[in-house]
Amino acid sequence: MKAERWHEIETVLQDALDRPPLERASFLQDVCAGDEELKTEATTLIAAYEEAGDFIEQPAIAQDAHVLLDDDIGREIGPYRIIERLGAGGMGEVYLAQDTRLSRLVALKLLPVYFASDSERLRRFQSEARAASALNHPNILTIYEVGESDGIYFIATEFIDGKTIGELMREQELSLEEVLDCVEQVASALAVAHAAGIVHRDIKPENIMRRHDGLLKILDFGIAKLSEAPDSVQSEGTGFPTHTEAGLVLGTVNYMSPEQARGLAVDVRTDIWSLGVVLYEMLTKRLPFSGATRMDTMVAILDRQPAPLSQSTSELGLSAPVLQPIVDKCLCKDVSGRYRTVGDLLEDLKRTREQLSDKVGPAIGRRTSGWTGRLSPRFVSATLGAVVLVIAIAGTLLYWPAVVPRQPSASETAEATAKAGKLYSQMSERERLDFVAEQEQRISSMMGDRPVKLDEKAVRVIKARVDRYAARTGPSTDPETGSTTAVYERAQPYVPLIARSFAARKVPVIIGIYLPVIESAYHHCYESALGSKGLYQFLPSTAAGYGVSREEMCDVEKMAPAAAHYIADRMAELGEDSQSVTLVLISYNRGAEWVRDSLRQLRGTENYSRNFWTLLANQEKLDEGFRRETAGYVPSFFAAAIIGENPEVFGLPTPPLSTLAD
Amino acid sequence: MLNFTSMKTVTADNLTALLVEWHEGDEAALDRLMPLVYEQLRSIAHRYVRRERDGHTLQTSALVNEAYLRLADQKVVWQNRSHFFAVTARVMRHILIDHARRRRYAKHGGGARQVPIEEASAMSMERAAELIALEEALDELAKLDQRKSRVVELRYFGGLSLEETADVLKISLMTVRRDWRAAKAWLYRRLKEAE
Repeated sequence: MKAERWHEIETVLQDALDRPPLERASFLQDVCAGDEELKTEATTLIAAYEEAGDFIEQPAIAQDAHVLLDDDIGREIGPYRIIERLGAGGMGEVYLAQDTRLSRLVALKLLPVYFASDSERLRRFQSEARAASALNHPNILTIYEVGESDGIYFIATEFIDGKTIGELMREQELSLEEVLDCVEQVASALAVAHAAGIVHRDIKPENIMRRHDGLLKILDFGIAKLSEAPDSVQSEGTGFPTHTEAGLVLGTVNYMSPEQARGLAVDVRTDIWSLGVVLYEMLTKRLPFSGATRMDTMVAILDRQPAPLSQSTSELGLSAPVLQPIVDKCLCKDVSGRYRTVGDLLEDLKRTREQLSDKVGPAIGRRTSGWTGRLSPRFVSATLGAVVLVIAIAGTLLYWPAVVPRQPSASETAEATAKAGKLYSQMSERERLDFVAEQEQRISSMMGDRPVKLDEKAVRVIKARVDRYAARTGPSTDPETGSTTAVYERAQPYVPLIARSFAARKVPVIIGIYLPVIESAYHHCYESALGSKGLYQFLPSTAAGYGVSREEMCDVEKMAPAAAHYIADRMAELGEDSQSVTLVLISYNRGAEWVRDSLRQLRGTENYSRNFWTLLANQEKLDEGFRRETAGYVPSFFAAAIIGENPEVFGLPTPPLSTLAD
Repeated sequence: MLNFTSMKTVTADNLTALLVEWHEGDEAALDRLMPLVYEQLRSIAHRYVRRERDGHTLQTSALVNEAYLRLADQKVVWQNRSHFFAVTARVMRHILIDHARRRRYAKHGGGARQVPIEEASAMSMERAAELIALEEALDELAKLDQRKSRVVELRYFGGLSLEETADVLKISLMTVRRDWRAAKAWLYRRLKEAE
């Protein structure tokens, strides 16, 4: 059917539909006189309309929400069985899968079907990926297979359990030795690829992963260019494989070379530029070229000189002026002024490293052990750490004297009532319970959606903790634990750091602020027999798994990001709405496995809901450890947050801590 | 591993630029937006499933709006909201059709399975067939009447209200209503014919 004909039919259809159903037939009879096809079309469409009912009226997600969640788990694609979804990338979904022939784990990337329907793109993809899969170097992610099974195109690669350089930079300090080592590993991999005529074209921290044993892997060789406009051409005469990149300005532009930004032909020297940007960023913790928008960044890449290392605000940048010539030569805007090959860059790096070890040998030597010693420890289950934590917290809480709040005098009550809010100490029992319930809801909603109405018992448990903490406001004579006032005051300077760390992991900031508050550990580095110590109370092995050495466990700068990461991992296991987050809090304490087992145990009980309060209400069915220790953990958290968020009600001379978050 | 972390590197500025690029016809921008939008859709789906269990009804368009706000973080110009809605609808369509096609192919797959395929999948064979038929019909409709197929995409896959659809397509509410009923009739008839 032609579009014009359809418009004719539609006009009749619309006119008919504007009339009452009973008049439609006769209307069609008149209007379609002599055009039987028109009449049939309109009649069948009206019949379809009348019969359609709620056809496509409900959005697809109402029916298919599960599809987005369950994905392809358990499905077999060729010889691969999908175990878990790892994430989504520029080119489709990535899964952890098992190669059923070899029983080995692989990362399996499935290309979107719409992609596969573009035959030109598909052809390019296959040839590029196959070329890249021929690369054999320990620092290049191994591509096992590029294939197709029943119409699904996939790439199976080595599975790397580790972190990207981008994550590492955000989470911890890198030593000069680490930086140089990283650049050398990447450069030596690039040398092999370049020799094979393959330019990576998208070297950036997110494309470089570090395995737990310290070995680096470059990802996405030969794949970066697939998201580009399909007009790559081979240029002649330069000896380098080159491509034009008209229109390629997708993704992050910060690592892009000037020639890429201009859409000109690129060669191996584009990778050298990008590696230079990564080197600069690792040294100074700043991007050499950045702007408020992508355009601004590209302008900076084309026109501006990065600040010299000597003006860097980072210690590392300042310590390495000797690297300035290398940075300059990588970041030369004119390709002919750049290193011609990565081999040349490697030579310079090696020479500089020798120079450095002559000059500042001890400094480098000291950090070298850190590279291997600090980073290799495997992640150890947090459960043990959590047990220690429980003991620490329970200890703190149990020894706090339960002081009966002072009765307010009549004049004080009048004064408080005159103001907008009442002091907690002046509220009646009923008012206190209402206050606690209301604040719990408020704090729950700060932790995610779906807050729940608490039952009377839950409110009373929180209130008991609030009472206990409230009794400790005011000046303290105990230098060891400090009064609540002192604890909140000590917390203040750390709030911005905590907020940054937790926001970076998408963990509610309020958790980061009040988790350590209940541990009263801001001033003293508590140490247990198992070595658990510091702000967020980790076992040394757990801390090591999150990149914090034993010596650093009292360092808030190190521990806050680690704790955020740890909690983000538990949220990924247990959920992120405010009710699941109550479970996350106790998983910090007991581990996620315990939480899941306990919930399973209680599933048949009355008023079951998936949160901490169900566990509390049914505690007699759970283990002794829960009753003795864990049960107090979430109420303590809420109590701490209720006081910290309402300092005026408790007569504390501090602002609500969460207001300091930015 | 292949670059799945790249979703973290799409910043608000990036998002704006990518939305504009996609809106201006650069299909490759969709590849970059895909992971980001997929994550948002998953979180919407998550809440959908939960509330469904809680017995609440839910406005999909409200969730899409929230997802946008979460991403946009004030930095993205408000006019991009409609680009975002359009992208969300397109991504949702891709995901579901992708899944449906895989589902259909899977029936022919061989080898020893530990999990029976019916249990392993969140989508029934009937639903997969329905979606694939709808997709084919929608493609046909696009050839006849591009705008109507977009109305359906935005409403059905994007979960948008009539008003939001009008907003995205910059047409009147009246036109959306009329497009919707004509498209619905046309698609329904097409699917019936195919049966």
